[in-house]
Amino acid sequence: MSTPRRVVLAASLVALVACSGEGPGPNALRIPLINDPILNPVLAPDIGSVLINKVLFSALVRPDEHLRPTPDLAESWTTSDDGLAWTFALRPGVRWHDGEPFTARDVKFTFDQALDVKSGSRLRSDFAAVDGVDIVDSLTVRFRLKAPFAPFLSLLGYNAGILPEHRLRGRKLTDATDFNRSAAIGTGPFRIVSASSGSAIVLERYPGYHGAVPALDQVIFRIVPDVNAQVAQLLAGELDLVPIEPANLGSVERAPGVVVARNPIVQHVYVGFNQLRPAFKPALVRQALDLAIDRQAIIDGVVKGAADLPRGTIPMVLSGYFDGSLPAPAFAPDSARALLARAGWRPDAEGRLHDAKGAPFALTILVDKGNPTREQAALAVQQDLRRIGIDVSIETLEFATLVRDRVLPGDYDAVLIWWTTPPDPDQYSFYATGQDNNHVRYSNARVDSLLGAGRATLDTVARRGIYAAFQREEMTDPPVLVLFYPRELLAVSARIAGLPALGLRDALRHTERLSVKR
Amino acid sequence: MTGFLLRRAGHALTVILLVCTATFMLVHLAPGGPAVLADPKLSVEERTAIEERLGLDRPVLAQYGLWLARVARGDLGRSFLYEVPNLRAIGERLPNTALLAGTSLFLSVLLAVPLGLWSAAHRGGWVDRVVSGAAFVAMAVPTFWLAIGAIFTFAIALPLFPAGGATAAGGSGGVLGRLYHLAMPAVVLAAVTTAELLRYMRSSAQTARQQPFIRVARAKGVRDAAIQWRHVLRTALIPVVTVLGIQIPRLVGGAAITETVFAWPGLGRLGIQAALGRDYPLVMAITLFISAAVVIVNLAIDLAYLWIDPRIRMDQR
Amino acid sequence: MSPAATGSSRRRATIAAGVLALLALAAVLGPILYGADPNTLDLGRAAVPPGPGHPLGTDESGRDVLGRLLAGGRVSLAVGFAAVSCSALLGLSLGSLAGLGGRRVDAAVMRLTDAMMAIPALFLIITTLALFGTSVTSLVLAIGGTSWMGLARLVRAELMSIREQPYVEAARALGARPTRLLLRHAMPHLLPTLLVNVTFGVGTAILMESALSFIGLGIQPPAASWGNMLTNAQAYLYASPWLAVYPGLLILVTVVAVNMLGDALRDVTEPGERTT
Repeated sequence: MSTPRRVVLAASLVALVACSGEGPGPNALRIPLINDPILNPVLAPDIGSVLINKVLFSALVRPDEHLRPTPDLAESWTTSDDGLAWTFALRPGVRWHDGEPFTARDVKFTFDQALDVKSGSRLRSDFAAVDGVDIVDSLTVRFRLKAPFAPFLSLLGYNAGILPEHRLRGRKLTDATDFNRSAAIGTGPFRIVSASSGSAIVLERYPGYHGAVPALDQVIFRIVPDVNAQVAQLLAGELDLVPIEPANLGSVERAPGVVVARNPIVQHVYVGFNQLRPAFKPALVRQALDLAIDRQAIIDGVVKGAADLPRGTIPMVLSGYFDGSLPAPAFAPDSARALLARAGWRPDAEGRLHDAKGAPFALTILVDKGNPTREQAALAVQQDLRRIGIDVSIETLEFATLVRDRVLPGDYDAVLIWWTTPPDPDQYSFYATGQDNNHVRYSNARVDSLLGAGRATLDTVARRGIYAAFQREEMTDPPVLVLFYPRELLAVSARIAGLPALGLRDALRHTERLSVKR
Repeated sequence: MTGFLLRRAGHALTVILLVCTATFMLVHLAPGGPAVLADPKLSVEERTAIEERLGLDRPVLAQYGLWLARVARGDLGRSFLYEVPNLRAIGERLPNTALLAGTSLFLSVLLAVPLGLWSAAHRGGWVDRVVSGAAFVAMAVPTFWLAIGAIFTFAIALPLFPAGGATAAGGSGGVLGRLYHLAMPAVVLAAVTTAELLRYMRSSAQTARQQPFIRVARAKGVRDAAIQWRHVLRTALIPVVTVLGIQIPRLVGGAAITETVFAWPGLGRLGIQAALGRDYPLVMAITLFISAAVVIVNLAIDLAYLWIDPRIRMDQR
Repeated sequence: MSPAATGSSRRRATIAAGVLALLALAAVLGPILYGADPNTLDLGRAAVPPGPGHPLGTDESGRDVLGRLLAGGRVSLAVGFAAVSCSALLGLSLGSLAGLGGRRVDAAVMRLTDAMMAIPALFLIITTLALFGTSVTSLVLAIGGTSWMGLARLVRAELMSIREQPYVEAARALGARPTRLLLRHAMPHLLPTLLVNVTFGVGTAILMESALSFIGLGIQPPAASWGNMLTNAQAYLYASPWLAVYPGLLILVTVVAVNMLGDALRDVTEPGERTT
């Protein structure tokens, strides 16, 4: 090829590139989503919808960098002495993205919908304690509670974005397809410009935002279903913020212009033992299993360091409640064997455990299919438990099948699963006797009363004492075998500044603070 | 002619009813249930409410009747995951799929027909060897590997093309931007189609060349080029049209992988995500939609046969 | 066909068959002869490049790559052959049913065939596996159950054409049950077609397994297959590209060899439909 022709070719390629408007977006943050989201915080069924809704819709409060609720749409609030009435003074002068004023009617509308089981609400169980919402005046609302409920404020700042009554009044939320897909109106720092199915949702700075002026011009959510494709787009400069798996660390850590954030999130990953099974009923047995696991090896090898050693079920990131003075979990297979011997499990000549009748100690761990991190963690648990003489097999199942056909009906021995919780230590629904979410069928009278008191006690100091006691109780009667508190791996383009050290869920409540380095 | 058409239309309807029933059974016999119910955090009360709202609390047979009645009215139901009518979800993705599949089919025909004819006329020549070798490789490479290799090479190592998406991040870029994003996925998707089409073209052109009337023409001194284009092409196109008919569902389904790697907002990808997300109504709607399209295309192809080659008897096939 | 072409075709078929025999041998004997266990995790020695102890290096979890390639080959080839057998069985029996069973049965089978051909196979397989769960068995059944239609049509057409033959008419006139007769006369004609179909089918099935692995519905870890090794390697494409090269090349070589063999078989059995 002669030189002039080559030049022409190169020039036309450059022109093509310039025309397409690709390249590092001028002043925009580009985040991947797996699926088309539902732009409605009351209906949002998946993490992707939750993420974008946190940018579009403000809530009454939002969590700060220590996950404490701070004012957002509510300026201040008071609680009645009996803890049954919460009165919120709303911020005046807030306008929806379409220019309409935000008022108490919007708050009442949102929670009326959220509490209505027929509306398609996914927030119902978060606010089961709420009896109703009253408008005091156009900028004051009062929530009536059925019982004192300490996590209330955290939950208000969690997923409960406020909906515009003037757009949705009289309609079934699930039928408001245009709103839910592309014409959503919120009070957040960015408003919607365009949404194209399967492709992208483009948000732009909302000049009338009630908080600090957003630094970015645009926030773009691109639909990229495959995590490896997301990483490729990050490396090609087409995305800025990608939640990755430990497996992807090798690719992004060496890449120029990419930094990896490891922010703790409110989650505990655990192996739950079904306590309907007689073998797992005694606390002694669960204590022994707890001692048999080399958690540090799992954290280093499987999660590549992106997790913290647990002390019970309250994640470390809840710094106001987590009691770090408790000892880190011991890895002591010999003590585990001794405890199991006390519980009646004797080793045979080959070290395999049997009960008095000669039946072997055998169990199957269920794990959801398709996540290599959890699958490998299950393998590591299997190796550790085999070492103390337990016959462990692993069964991988589709998540829906695992949950609906096995975990909910209680048809399993053990399951490797996780809870992501609001930024509050309340775990009543998970570990109190007979609760809907207590899938391991844990039952401990002292825990029941502690967790009951924990959610009813508004005084922070008293509450801290209650959860410290709960954590200590968990040491002797562990409800589940907590493997680790994961950290969220976030590959971030180095040009992005101002990202708070929070999980993406909570960080995106502060999108107006993010900026592009010049 | 009318009888033939009526009979074929009857067949088409039967096929569509079969697909309706089969997908319904497939979906409702599966363990686990739809994913909307699989959130371990749902309370019993919420679970019941969802079941009621989505009609999942009714007997399966009633649900089946409802589904058939809806389909008959042209209503393909609502997606569990996206809270939209399925037809709308499909409609939004259809243009993208049509663009991608159409472009790669166009590329395939553009490459495969002349190359196939040439290879058949110059068997064993270097063009034939290179092209056949390339076709072998193209048919043996996993599509996603090809796609990832293309991204790695032409988007990251040598940043010439975008790594994914149908438009630039902001949605701007116009027609050129669209083509620019289309280039890599279309070429990757076209690789296999081209290879298969080429092999068919080559062999059917060869068969055509051996037909008596063409041998006679050549013996009479008609120039080879004229034979190629007038007679061989026409005779050779018949099996090729058949292959095209087979390629259409393959392009829509097979495009799913390419669409996923390149984040192309097409129908195949929507289908995969619906299946993985256990979005029952959307899975059924997409399956039904695609198969209805295929059935109609095949009907059209049968008519095309009549046009290409009147010797084909109408009662065949 | 010129003698030269026959020669080159035969030579290619020999090479292809040789390559396949070698791969099959490695898959059958390899895991026995080669000591390293394909599933032992060694998290401390993850993603080690080729070297002593691990001739082809280790993967992301410190498992020996050569060991996994051998074990994975066994799985991939087995899935390929099993799926094809399943498809051949279905194609033969449904095709015969249509060809021999009379008008109504024929119509029913043909509509079923049309319906199966109208649904994109990949999509149908993904839906089935996503809803019912993946295992080697379900994988084989799903791939086999969506690829029998072409063969069924061929079998039916062959039976139909034989049915018109005078000697069958005669036999029927004499009161003989035609089914066995038909099958006996059709088989010699069908066998080559079947052989060609099966050969190409193995390649398609291996590619299908790798595509399904990409979606997460192929052979499930910790078991290895070439498809899931290739899929896992994606995340390490930048740090340890060799992980993607080996399984990718093996799939490529296998499928090319299978297709070459299929072409050669077709040349021999159906001289009219030559493609080489």
